[in-house]
Amino acid sequence: MTTAPTVSASGLTLRYGGTAALDDVSLRLREGITGLIGPNGAGKTTLLRVLATAVPADRGAFAVLGHDPGTTAGRQEARRRLGYLPQNPGFHLDFTAFSFVDYVAILKELTDRAARHREVRRVLEAVDLSDVRGKRIKRLSGGMRQRVALAAALLGDPGLLLLDEPTVGLDPEQRMRFRELIAQAGESRTVLLSTHQTEDVAMLCHRVIVMVRGRIHFEGTPAELTARAAGRVWSSAERDPGARAGWRTGLGTFRNVGDPPRGAALLEPTLEDGYLLVLDGEPAEVASL
Amino acid sequence: MPEVGAAYARVRALLPPLWRALPWRVLGAAGGSATALPALARLVSGGHDTAFALILLRSAEVALALGLAFLLDDPARHITVAVPTRRVLRNGLRLALVVPLVLLCWTVALLLVPGEIRPPAGDVGLEAAALAALALTGAAAAVRFTDEPQPGAVVAATLLAVTVLETLLPERCTLFVDVADPGWAAAHQRWAVLLLLTVPMGAALLPERIRRRRALAWTHR
Repeated sequence: MTTAPTVSASGLTLRYGGTAALDDVSLRLREGITGLIGPNGAGKTTLLRVLATAVPADRGAFAVLGHDPGTTAGRQEARRRLGYLPQNPGFHLDFTAFSFVDYVAILKELTDRAARHREVRRVLEAVDLSDVRGKRIKRLSGGMRQRVALAAALLGDPGLLLLDEPTVGLDPEQRMRFRELIAQAGESRTVLLSTHQTEDVAMLCHRVIVMVRGRIHFEGTPAELTARAAGRVWSSAERDPGARAGWRTGLGTFRNVGDPPRGAALLEPTLEDGYLLVLDGEPAEVASL
Repeated sequence: MPEVGAAYARVRALLPPLWRALPWRVLGAAGGSATALPALARLVSGGHDTAFALILLRSAEVALALGLAFLLDDPARHITVAVPTRRVLRNGLRLALVVPLVLLCWTVALLLVPGEIRPPAGDVGLEAAALAALALTGAAAAVRFTDEPQPGAVVAATLLAVTVLETLLPERCTLFVDVADPGWAAAHQRWAVLLLLTVPMGAALLPERIRRRRALAWTHR
């Protein structure tokens, strides 16, 4: 990827009391889908909220498509160019799907009624909700509501899409559908996808960032993260006490991750194995930005 | 003047969904209570005086203020947090939509109290305005310093607690005095001070923050 970064951030720091939710975070996001993973409390949601201009950082600076959200005018310009799907989207439940997305479209300054309604129909079709656009949100399932929120985020064809755990609480079929939508969205724009689902990262993302305790502990490609576990995943009949993590598989054998004993039956590593090893006391490493 | 035209078009487009998104149940309950309570002065017969009417009107003041504590509740706040339309405009419009209705309720409440026992309308109106401003300032502060989409219940409970605690204050600094009390005028000077303090404070709290103040960092969880 040689395109100019959509987001450039340096030294972002945000503290809640004595806890650093973000601790000197620097990153650059370019076109394509970047996965953001990490344990609970790692600062993923805080990072997305800062980049979405929902909350200002204590220190540091960032730009969205060249606009500095540290000024009122810059924040307005940045907001015109980003879409944000929060972790717990709330709704006016008495609104229909159409009227709710239309309301968000007005807030996104799409004031020409005919053009706005065309855009609302476009995004509802993009998330496959055209058939239920006249239904009240309180009558929609959790997955459909998530799609309403994604439709709202897609309004105005934003250059930056920030998605905070969009597949949480969805059943496998809905997750698959959402995966398709995110993949489509990432074809022509920059997407930052915060998730606990390492499979989503492996399948969708061209870059991955691992956050731990407010800091970036790894940044690179999914293949590079997976490679961190090369030669460090093995199979055994019993749980290996020397393994950093181990679990019984459906085959009845144990899959171990860590430092294998001599002669161990090595297995093909997954992105999740690499992620576990990055979390487990590995030295912090940030690949070149 | 294309910018003025665009701003006007945006406001016009925003009014219907904002009207629909208002917390009508709680506002309706507040308005209903505020008009039903003073109606008791007419319905309950015999021997009531200005002190009784004052209690009813003060109950109406508190009911309206409690309702206004919910005005800035927005269940969709997390979705609409990163839109270019500024929060000060959205919340200003909510206020503009509701204030005429609140004034109407208050006027009805006043008129429901028979003229011969009605306390000085200007003074009780000042009390109502100050309590409403206090509720709205509390709501604006909750929106500004927390991520809670619907802080109205907490703001209303706090306002109610403050109102009850205020009645326990020493006479020289209390706000709720009786009409016949020689401290009535002094108390209403205090009401005026409260109103003059809360209105600019509430206005200052309506816009979003560009930067955080370290001292307030703990509140934004």
